[in-house]
Amino acid sequence: MIPRIFLIAALLASSAFAGDAPKMKMESVRATPVAADPAAGKKLYQRWCTQCHGDEGKGDGPAAEFVYPRPRDFTLALYKVRSTPSGQLPTDHDLFKVISEGLPGTSMPAWNKYLSENERWQLVHYVKTFDTLGLFKDEAPTQRIAMDSPPQITPVLIARGKELYQSKKCWECHGKEGRGDGNKADTQKDDWGFPIRPVNFTKSWRFRGGDRIEDIFRTFTTGFNGTPMPSFVDAIPAAEDRWALAAFIKSLARPQKTGQVLRAIHRDGDIPADPYAKAWEDAEFVDFPLAGQIILDPRWFKPAHDVITARALYNDKEIAVLVEWDDGTYSRGDGNKPADQVALQLPVTISADEKPYFLLGDKKHAVDYWRWNAKDGLARFAAEGATRMSPRETGALAAQGGYKDGQYRVILRRPLKSGKEDEVPFEPGKFVPIAFHLWDGDQGEEGLKMSISTWYYLLPQPKTPFTIYLWPLGLGFLALGGEFWLIRRVRRKEKPA
Amino acid sequence: MQRWTFHIALCLWLAILAGFKLLIRPPMPASVLTIYMVLVTLGIMIFVAANEARFQAFLAPLKAVFEGRAPKLVQALVLAGIPLLAAWGTWLRTAPSYDAPFEARVVHPQPPLAMQLSGKKLNLAGLQNPLRANAADLDKHTVEGKRIYYQNCFYCHGDALAGDGHFANAFTPIPANFRDVGTISMLQESFVFWRVATGGPGLPKGAAPWLSAMPVWQNFLSEDEIWKAILYIYAGSGSTPRTWEEAPKK
Repeated sequence: MIPRIFLIAALLASSAFAGDAPKMKMESVRATPVAADPAAGKKLYQRWCTQCHGDEGKGDGPAAEFVYPRPRDFTLALYKVRSTPSGQLPTDHDLFKVISEGLPGTSMPAWNKYLSENERWQLVHYVKTFDTLGLFKDEAPTQRIAMDSPPQITPVLIARGKELYQSKKCWECHGKEGRGDGNKADTQKDDWGFPIRPVNFTKSWRFRGGDRIEDIFRTFTTGFNGTPMPSFVDAIPAAEDRWALAAFIKSLARPQKTGQVLRAIHRDGDIPADPYAKAWEDAEFVDFPLAGQIILDPRWFKPAHDVITARALYNDKEIAVLVEWDDGTYSRGDGNKPADQVALQLPVTISADEKPYFLLGDKKHAVDYWRWNAKDGLARFAAEGATRMSPRETGALAAQGGYKDGQYRVILRRPLKSGKEDEVPFEPGKFVPIAFHLWDGDQGEEGLKMSISTWYYLLPQPKTPFTIYLWPLGLGFLALGGEFWLIRRVRRKEKPA
Repeated sequence: MQRWTFHIALCLWLAILAGFKLLIRPPMPASVLTIYMVLVTLGIMIFVAANEARFQAFLAPLKAVFEGRAPKLVQALVLAGIPLLAAWGTWLRTAPSYDAPFEARVVHPQPPLAMQLSGKKLNLAGLQNPLRANAADLDKHTVEGKRIYYQNCFYCHGDALAGDGHFANAFTPIPANFRDVGTISMLQESFVFWRVATGGPGLPKGAAPWLSAMPVWQNFLSEDEIWKAILYIYAGSGSTPRTWEEAPKK
């Protein structure tokens, strides 16, 4: 921990500095619509907030150790998401917004679902009472940054933003492709001395301040107090340029596309071994959300990964699954940290009405476990539960994987059928349960300390037969024929009259 | 007015279809919708056909199209539209679907009469939360239960006990929402204790024990701690357990 006195000095210095530096358009802070009722605020806080933020607002509640990022310590009045210049306090409306809408990518939920507007305002007032330095009394913000409406997003604007991303060295932390894998990414610490990772710009669902272009612009402009993310008002003074950078960041974001079924599409030729080949880029992808493995001992509450993306292809001989995931650190088991890993889990046999236990199978239903490790490559196990895993021959199963620009891509392939009973056969149109496990060695993940998914399905999608178009065509023509018959009939009737 | 009979009937039919599709949540199954729409079609046709003049007025626009008296554009639209609609309707029924297979799952299975707890047998019939016996300590136990909940349960079941914790979206079936009147408030505490202590793997086969991510809590928490956490999920979600007295006699 950094001595508190140093923090206070730094805070005072930065807020004093921020007062005169930026030439930003400012506007008056909106009035707080609800007056404080300390007793009500205290009651609400103790009811809903102490589990993480602690009885005294130090961010040390009973759940604090078990969530990443750590809950806010209110005593220093350092807040990330604000509409005020770097180093300054947030407005009441800023705090209200965070309490109401939550912080994406953290365990802070959106309280507007559960608490009335009045209750949320009472929490704003109460949270401010933890400010041990009395800053909210002495330096309550009267001005906030005025934001124009965002410009039209054009390719030119995005290109300009990309230039700024290069020249202003955003990539040092956030990486060349924005995946949070810059060369300074793994040494960052927050003002409390806790390690902190730069955000991955492709995962817009994790942007703390929100992922609208206005939110991204606001973050550059205000910076995140208490973190290494500075304000870029001095480095990029022109608002148009900050809008351009925001447009570029927004262009990197890809929303999650989740689904229950990973469909493997049939190919006539070979399945490319290069994960960047066009056939793979064109293949449909599905994002599978992951959670910490908190079911078996040792439980893992702060998983590094929250999603894995998969694509699948098959031909007449084999099936291949490409899994890709972002990881800011390429860990190959050097030093005393474990290597990064991924695993696919499939049942050994398919039963119509039962599956193996979703986490590594059970005594009656074994799973076939394919694990690729950045150091040792492929290993294969038969598992009948976490404590009953035995290595097996990889056989015709093969894997190739690599790491590039903050992202892993690993291809696992297997013949459709071996004819043996120790692995599930793949047939067009037959659903095969599949689950995913993922490890980030840099975060100390190994063994059961991992991210897990639930059961999904892998389906070799049958080639669409020509015959399925016959019924619709036939009925369409039948209707057409019926019409002509009717027309002729009514018109013939008409004529004699 | 009568000359618009056909148009009104068509609009009514479409409005009812839109109402069924858009206003009813959760959406009704396609087979039910088909039955309803057949009934709606029959109803409209019976009403139209009940009066000869109305029926002729209804047929007039159709005759105009087939006899070639309607405007050319209307003729073309109707004559081309009917075969296209027929083809499209057929395609919707015959097109291959690759949705995940439907898996029936019992949400609230019948609890067993007794369960194993750390090697000993615990009868569930008539079982009460022992911590409710002493009202003086109830608050203390609930506070302790709150700590247990937020160190063990809230990742999935959420800060506000609504089943929407930060890990919730990774699991199917989704974690139980304790604020929902269809969960703990309709269950006895003995049932909740059974579900907590034996977790997903303790479910009977019909409830798909292989899917549930609910841990076997007796591996992590003592009997006392489980009862405390149960006190909190009721207190925290503002619900009360169903009691044995209210339970229907069998």
